Amino acid sequence: MITVNKHQYKPVLTIHQKDRIWGMLFVIPSFFALVLLVIYPMLNGFYVSLFNTNLVSRNTYVGLKYYGQLFTKPEFGNTLFTSLKFTVLVVCGHFLVGGLFASLLNKPFPGRSFFRMILVLPWVIPEVSIGLVWKWIFNPVYGIINYYLLQWKVISEPVAWLSNPATAFPIVVFISIWKGFPLIMLLISAGLQTISQDILEAGIIDGANRMQSVVYIYIPSLKPVILSAIILDTLWWFKHFTLVWMTTAGGPESATNLVSIDIYKTAFEYFQYGQAAARSVVVFAICLIISIIQRGGLREKKG
Amino acid sequence: MKRRAKINLAGKYLVLSVASLLILLPVLWMVSTSFKNTPEIMNGKITWIPQEITFEAYLRLFQDYPFADYYKSTLIISAATVLIAMAFAILSGYGITRFRFPGRGAYLTFVLVTQMFPSIMLLIPFYKLMKTFHLNDTYTGMILVYVSHTIPFCTWLMKGYMESIPTSLDESAMIDGYSRIRILIKIICPLAMPGIAATAIYSLIQTWNEFMFASILINKETLKTLPVGIGQLNGYYRIQYNDLMAACIISSLPVVVIYVFMQKYFIAGLTAGAVKE
Repeated sequence: MITVNKHQYKPVLTIHQKDRIWGMLFVIPSFFALVLLVIYPMLNGFYVSLFNTNLVSRNTYVGLKYYGQLFTKPEFGNTLFTSLKFTVLVVCGHFLVGGLFASLLNKPFPGRSFFRMILVLPWVIPEVSIGLVWKWIFNPVYGIINYYLLQWKVISEPVAWLSNPATAFPIVVFISIWKGFPLIMLLISAGLQTISQDILEAGIIDGANRMQSVVYIYIPSLKPVILSAIILDTLWWFKHFTLVWMTTAGGPESATNLVSIDIYKTAFEYFQYGQAAARSVVVFAICLIISIIQRGGLREKKG
Repeated sequence: MKRRAKINLAGKYLVLSVASLLILLPVLWMVSTSFKNTPEIMNGKITWIPQEITFEAYLRLFQDYPFADYYKSTLIISAATVLIAMAFAILSGYGITRFRFPGRGAYLTFVLVTQMFPSIMLLIPFYKLMKTFHLNDTYTGMILVYVSHTIPFCTWLMKGYMESIPTSLDESAMIDGYSRIRILIKIICPLAMPGIAATAIYSLIQTWNEFMFASILINKETLKTLPVGIGQLNGYYRIQYNDLMAACIISSLPVVVIYVFMQKYFIAGLTAGAVKE
């Protein structure tokens, strides 16, 4: 997990000079693995983005043409906007729901571990399965949502939830919140556990009410956890693919066309590998910018 | 005061029960659908308990579709990925927390940045490189891909957990004449067990459930993983929802069972490893 601290952990074991070499020896395997499996493919992706290529026969150098097109044509801008909207809603949902349940489960009470086990289930069940069960639930003809809504006379005729742009997007956001809140809940719970009881009691003795202890004790103590969780969650869901691919595949009318889906289709349905690679380089740049802004912004508030 | 506490507790149970219901209902609906026969799904009535409980959907998965193969390859790929990623993460976690060496800070930043790479960015290069190195349609290729996905986060979790183990233990072991490797294996690893378990569960869930890369990088039917196999069922013109839900259940079951049994370790490991000031 990302640690954000001014007092970096300092190892004290420097008895021998050769410790330096030992330290490097332990780290070198994963360093090489990351260079080979992440850095090298990434540079290769940038290289592909400069070509009009189908990766087999066609291979024409086009330079930065695809990057220029991204800014002149509106489609990719719309995709980015949809993704940002999606990410903001989903991450806010995760923190609202996850924070609520983390605080409810913080203190021991009968049934606590039972409820926690159930609440974590969505995170454990594969995305493919979750996407498909919701698709089945929202099925226009045989789905249970339509069945009950018709029976309770909320709607007068079956609704094609996932083929209507107005309903598909909110449903996809809902499913993504449903799937992802448990991890945030666990991280916030973990953070809550580290707040020492002494500080809370000292606050009560000083006459702090509930609201004040939330503002002056809980939130500052949780800041490091919340900061890393927000950054990770944003990056995870900005590039999200599977749930949306399973339920709507980016449709209807690109209402749920997230960046990953757009790139996937450009590459593997339209075989425009260069163009798709250029888009993914842009997505990487955006991810980097988002995390820098978030870190800067949240650190400043810390004062 | 006592009365108020009771009302609070009742409210807590109410909220938690509603939330649990919202989570369990889709899961139960999945289970219920998987035990129905096809006419019962299509008759337009909603029956939570099937009128006639049948295992035919499950049987079809193994007779008409190669789900045994999907299971096998998912198992091989996930197990190998978890083992390799854990070995890398334990070694580098130990190195980072126990030694000072040139490039230590740079390495930490490096791991952090690799964690931010959107996986979609690596999809096209991997697709191309797998062909170049003849690794497409092999277990090795998929294992390499997933190792690259899991190493950064696993390293962070391991580093976080190992920081909580005091270095004085290493020092006294060194005075007793233990070698570095022996200290890691005999002293640090046993103490870091909750952290190791949490990291392993995390990487297992990530790998077992991955869909996007597997759907592009594997073409051979017998090598496909469970998520890809399920995705195919979803792609047919006429979707058989009972088969689909049965497939969803058999692919979820192993990870859910492992999680339920290991959740104590997982939460303990996450608490110590992820939450570092």
